[in-house]
Amino acid sequence: MTGLHLLIPEYLLLAGAIAALFIERVSGREGAGAALGAVVALAAAIAAVVIGAQGAIAGGMLALDAVAVTVRVAIAALTAVYLLWLVGRGMGPERSREAVAFVLFAALGSMLMASARDLIVLFISLELATMPAYVLMGYRRNDERNLEGALKYFLLSMTTSLILLYGLSFLFGIAGSTSLVAIAAAPPAGLLGTFASVFVFIGLFAKMSAAPFHFWAPDAYAGAPAGSVAFVSTVPKLAGTAVMVNLATALVPHAPVLPAVLALAAVTSMLLGNLAAFPQTDIRRLMAYSGVAHTGYVLLALSSATPAGYAAAVFYTIAYVVPSMAITLIAAEEGTALDDLAGLVVRRPAVAWGSVVLLLSLVGVPPMAGMLGKLFAFTAAVSAGRLALVIVAVVMSVVSAGYYFRILRPIFFASRSDAPVLASSRSAAVAFSLLVAATLALGIAASPLLSYLGVRFF
Amino acid sequence: MSLLQPVGVVSFMALAAVLFSLGLYGALSRKSAVMVLMSLELMANAVNINLVALSRFTAPAEMTGQIFAVFSMVVSAAEIGLGLALVLALYRRSQTVELDAMQELKG
Repeated sequence: MTGLHLLIPEYLLLAGAIAALFIERVSGREGAGAALGAVVALAAAIAAVVIGAQGAIAGGMLALDAVAVTVRVAIAALTAVYLLWLVGRGMGPERSREAVAFVLFAALGSMLMASARDLIVLFISLELATMPAYVLMGYRRNDERNLEGALKYFLLSMTTSLILLYGLSFLFGIAGSTSLVAIAAAPPAGLLGTFASVFVFIGLFAKMSAAPFHFWAPDAYAGAPAGSVAFVSTVPKLAGTAVMVNLATALVPHAPVLPAVLALAAVTSMLLGNLAAFPQTDIRRLMAYSGVAHTGYVLLALSSATPAGYAAAVFYTIAYVVPSMAITLIAAEEGTALDDLAGLVVRRPAVAWGSVVLLLSLVGVPPMAGMLGKLFAFTAAVSAGRLALVIVAVVMSVVSAGYYFRILRPIFFASRSDAPVLASSRSAAVAFSLLVAATLALGIAASPLLSYLGVRFF
Repeated sequence: MSLLQPVGVVSFMALAAVLFSLGLYGALSRKSAVMVLMSLELMANAVNINLVALSRFTAPAEMTGQIFAVFSMVVSAAEIGLGLALVLALYRRSQTVELDAMQELKG
């Protein structure tokens, strides 16, 4: 028994992606593809919960451990919520059925990536997750600015994919095997291990937009439709964290310098991301820099190189992508400049107050998810002896309040007469409230989730 | 030191490193999108040489590295196809493939 039936969530997404291309033609209803995709992704999330942790499957090429299961469920659930939003809002002037298919393909790639324990599977699923993103980023194909952003995103993303692949080829050389388990068990590889970790982690830092390899992110996001950014900048990052956890586990024995490298990238990301976010006036650019900063906190947790740190990194990633997606979705509805949000509290009070919850969670105010995520990340880092870094992180969290409140100012203290009249959409409203509710609920569900990940903090 | 000594894994890896560096330099410095795509292909081929050489010298019986190289070729062909589609779509709009001519997004 190879356990291939345990991949039912992945099969569901694959079937859904193909069906989404045709269902609007067959049923003749706009939005049917997105609705189908949302249902399929929800079913995949439920199936992933039911299947749970199973250990190694498919001859050891994939493994469903606690981290993989958590990330899998989170990816499928977030994809479902995103597609639910897409049912109501669509992709602007373009038809949305291809977008639904690409979103499902990217989610499928991300889910496989999180459970991959083999370099070939890892690389193929990484590409399956990134290639649809190129198309989504350039979705308005009649908009020159949009195409430029997509081309630049593509060129940089492919460069970093190849740097990562070059690192994987050295990683293969360590044990003469593509299995991560065999690589971790091989005798220390010296120079080969250092080469492998340098290239692999440069590639991963760039994919996760960690400083100093983050420079593509603000431009790429500002050139893309905000609706695409909401997906591309969040869901694949969940898989990225899981991959970093798996590769760090395999590589730390071969490259003892790796935790220090992670710590260095963490501190640069936290400083650069938080400070560069201040002068931004475009919500997509602001959220891109905020993403750099949050990746810094994730790397801080990873740099402890302990199971507690890895679990904290996974939890922090979930806690940060949920509100991040919701804020970007508001930008997709209202307009991407900060001033476009003016007077939102009068026009749409529920969204305005919801965004208060989201932003407080991103700053790290209790009792939201972000605060607990930071607490776990910092605890793991302190117990690994990185007190100085944690002090930087705490100071930077306080600083981050400054630019998150810059989003709130126009919402509450400005007015706008030329605001676009949005058609009310029940599915988009439900999707937004689900994201807000998840931000609150993750704070409460944090302890059970972390004990599932095998860590007890207090 | 004879010139006719057998070629070892280090020679192949050095060749791959040179090709990879050339490709990376080209990808970061070239102004034409088509030339950047060609530089990316060079990097992809460097990786393939590395994989095949390491496979031959560390685990010749299993051939996993060679299989990895086949997969990587397919993936990079698909990526280049997607990239050329983007370049073409942009060329139809703006009649240029020069990255410098694209001034709309700045730092």
